[in-house]
Amino acid sequence: MTARVNELADNTTVLKYALVAPAVFVILLIGLYPFVQLALTSVQNVTMFGADNSFHGAVHYERLLGDERLWSALWNTIWFTAVALPIELVLGYLLALLFLQPLPLRRTLIAIILLPTVISPIVAGATWRLMLDQRFGPVNQLIGWIIGRDVEILWTINPSLVWPAVLVAEVWQWTPFMFLILLAALSNVDREQLEAAEVDGAGAWTVFRKVVLPAIMPVVVIAVLIRGLDLFRVFDVIWTMTQGGPGTRTETISIYAYQMAFREFEISYSAAIAFLVIVLLTIAVLVALRRVEIAR
Amino acid sequence: MRRWENGWRLALRLVLALVAVGFFAFPIYWLAAISIKSPEEIFAYPPVWIPSGINLSGYVALFRNGDVWAVWNSLVTASVSTVLAMILGTLAAYGIVRYRPGGENLTIWIISQRMIPPICVAFPIFLLFVSLGLVDTFVGLIVLYTAFNLPYVIWMMRGYIQDIPPELEQSALVDGLSRWAVITKVVIPMARGGFFATAVFTFIFAWNDFLFALVLTRSEVVTYPVQVTGYFGSQSTFWSQIGAMSMLGVLPMMLVVATMQRFIVRGMSMGAVKG
Amino acid sequence: MADLQLVNIDKHYGAVHAVRDVSLKVESGAFVVLVGPSGCGKSTLLRAIAGLEDITSGDIIIDGRNVTRLAPRARNVAMVFQSYALYPYLTVFENIAFGLRARGETEAAIRDRVNWAADTLSITDYLNRHPRELSGGQRQRVAIGRAIVREADVYLFDEPLSNLDAKLRDGMREELKRLHARLGRTFVYVTHDQVEAMTLADRIILLRDGVIEQDGTPLDLFERPETRFVAGFLGSPPMNMLDVTVEQADGIVRLEDGQMLPTDGLGIPKETGHYTWGIRPEQMRLAQKGEPHIKVAVDVVQPTGSKLLATTIAGRQKLTVELDAHSGVDAGQTITLAVSTTRTVFFDSDGRRV
Repeated sequence: MTARVNELADNTTVLKYALVAPAVFVILLIGLYPFVQLALTSVQNVTMFGADNSFHGAVHYERLLGDERLWSALWNTIWFTAVALPIELVLGYLLALLFLQPLPLRRTLIAIILLPTVISPIVAGATWRLMLDQRFGPVNQLIGWIIGRDVEILWTINPSLVWPAVLVAEVWQWTPFMFLILLAALSNVDREQLEAAEVDGAGAWTVFRKVVLPAIMPVVVIAVLIRGLDLFRVFDVIWTMTQGGPGTRTETISIYAYQMAFREFEISYSAAIAFLVIVLLTIAVLVALRRVEIAR
Repeated sequence: MRRWENGWRLALRLVLALVAVGFFAFPIYWLAAISIKSPEEIFAYPPVWIPSGINLSGYVALFRNGDVWAVWNSLVTASVSTVLAMILGTLAAYGIVRYRPGGENLTIWIISQRMIPPICVAFPIFLLFVSLGLVDTFVGLIVLYTAFNLPYVIWMMRGYIQDIPPELEQSALVDGLSRWAVITKVVIPMARGGFFATAVFTFIFAWNDFLFALVLTRSEVVTYPVQVTGYFGSQSTFWSQIGAMSMLGVLPMMLVVATMQRFIVRGMSMGAVKG
Repeated sequence: MADLQLVNIDKHYGAVHAVRDVSLKVESGAFVVLVGPSGCGKSTLLRAIAGLEDITSGDIIIDGRNVTRLAPRARNVAMVFQSYALYPYLTVFENIAFGLRARGETEAAIRDRVNWAADTLSITDYLNRHPRELSGGQRQRVAIGRAIVREADVYLFDEPLSNLDAKLRDGMREELKRLHARLGRTFVYVTHDQVEAMTLADRIILLRDGVIEQDGTPLDLFERPETRFVAGFLGSPPMNMLDVTVEQADGIVRLEDGQMLPTDGLGIPKETGHYTWGIRPEQMRLAQKGEPHIKVAVDVVQPTGSKLLATTIAGRQKLTVELDAHSGVDAGQTITLAVSTTRTVFFDSDGRRV
């Protein structure tokens, strides 16, 4: 057996393709089959009442245009991304500044801060749901202490508070990610350049704009891209905290697509939604990459 | 930059740092506290901040009603899929680095697979699994996690393998190893730090997954995150079970952070930042 | 111990023709050095022998066995790499033992062989260390140890000394030569350094643009270079190349600036015409009274301690001369030089020796 493998491996042409073939095959399972399936389903009419596999043209895509719940879910997603991302970035940056220079117990403290990012978003959501419980949660009690009377704020039920509640959980979980990446980037900023700038009499803001920012920019772009893509498909944390509610108040595009596919069994329609999301994401990524190239 | 700082500035920084640490650590403390509180303490008003003792009734309940199998299911699916993804992914990464099949396009295609939102492919995969009889099976979940993590493994291992000087492999070839043995005896030992780090992250992704587990499991291979959400009932919420089950999911991650700190930046930024 | 034969080797990299129809036979136990400027195909050839590079056409025969299509491990060659290629995660002992283990030798045999190799290279003290704890010179020894520990048919060296500093390089050169004498094995050695080629080889193969320019003993190549390229490549400081006209009938060599040097007719080309006259710096001396000579102006002098290197100008051409350290020659002087044509060489307009 081993000898046989060795002999086969001697043929570099065989080896060249044999090494990647199994992985490519497995990836095709999520990289090809679903797309074909989505494309087919989205032009048929498959619902909980039965599968009509005949060609229905673009009816489901037309429906997308007039679906207000879809557009509000999309708006929610974009809004959530647009708010959470800068908060995480700025908080992460400030935190990184705090830890850039020596500090007692630096490594341990950093490790503790990192913990939220490696736990399951489900656990993060569950934890914050417990934290924000109107009666038994510590958050309301803390607020009570501050304002001097007991409060029973319904964080995950009150429509005007539910987004801030979800936002807190999201920011809590992912700011450490930004923090860590920015800390690494800041540690790599050339000390001599900073010193040269100081010797030249540049003020703090100038030093930041002319020396620090250009140095960390590539890393910031990557971090924003990774987090942006994650935020755009946010599901878990909101699902645990609100399931998209109250009503459809916190419904994001992922949650809406899930509801359509697995609750309402609008299979064909959900396929059209999935396609829309993929197209939007592809455009977003291409635009982002183009901007990165221009920036270089 | 100044090499020294006066004591006040350092103290201020320390205080701010501790406040930040408090913000990030407290929710996990609260979770841990709930998991060891007695029911009376959990539902006390005002809330009890420090448990009076260790009450393991939440954990005992998990063992008694068999829900703890969810942790086992997570462990099996995450471990096996990690092993598979590491084997297939490392071989593919090596092939891509040394023999360049398909040129740049293959790499770009593979990494683009990482960007697909799970929800978009969840239903087609569900249909596929229904027709293959893979819904609610270990095999199904393992295959899926393997497939979903492979782009990550290939991308990361590609970076680590590129750092290995080709002469080391050539020398081994001349010394008597086959091209196959070179992978196991030279490439993997050379990249072992990155290999373990990648494996750990692959494990974390599978361990923490929720959406696929939600869609593709029913009762047999329910994983711990799905189980956690199950405790938020419409009638009642099982606080101590939520605490206990969540803590079982968090504890391995604490271990990861404690031991793998130096790999975390690179692992999470997909190698874009070498921390 | 075995001989090595290359038959009509060709190698293309896309449009680049890196090795062109190279054939040669290396006798068993020889120390052959492949030398040439970078890009001449010497490393490609060595790697082809090892099996690390596929050749486009031709045959590689080791000990009568055609190994052209065999995997590297089946060729029974050992190789030392320029970058040493040591495994950082293994101790020195395990690094040296690597090839033996790969071939499934017994533990006892491995220990014997490794200890012998370590002893031969005086690295016994470092056997339990890791490569990162060694100096460059020590790593170099370990790399050589990894090769000689094996009973290979042919030992290949790919610029093994080029990462060492000058002093260590001199020492290792001597040691390699001693090692070859002791082992009596077939060594094929690639370098771009002509000093290494001259000092180590008992046969030099000089390559240029993928073709063998000349193949012979070091002295052959040094004293009877077949082409102007070979003459210029070997020797330091390099050979002087003067454009001259030879008047065969009178036995006169006329320099570009019109100076005429009468000769006894020996060693000069058989036909009158334009030539390039190759003179090594050490083939000239200050002329005695009445002796035939050429007159040159001294531009710069560089004492080396044992000798004096004078850069002189003859007309518009530069001429470097190696003189006695105490000759008292100084910049700005005009001196007369005697040179015998019997050992110098002439090249025709195609760069071939006549």
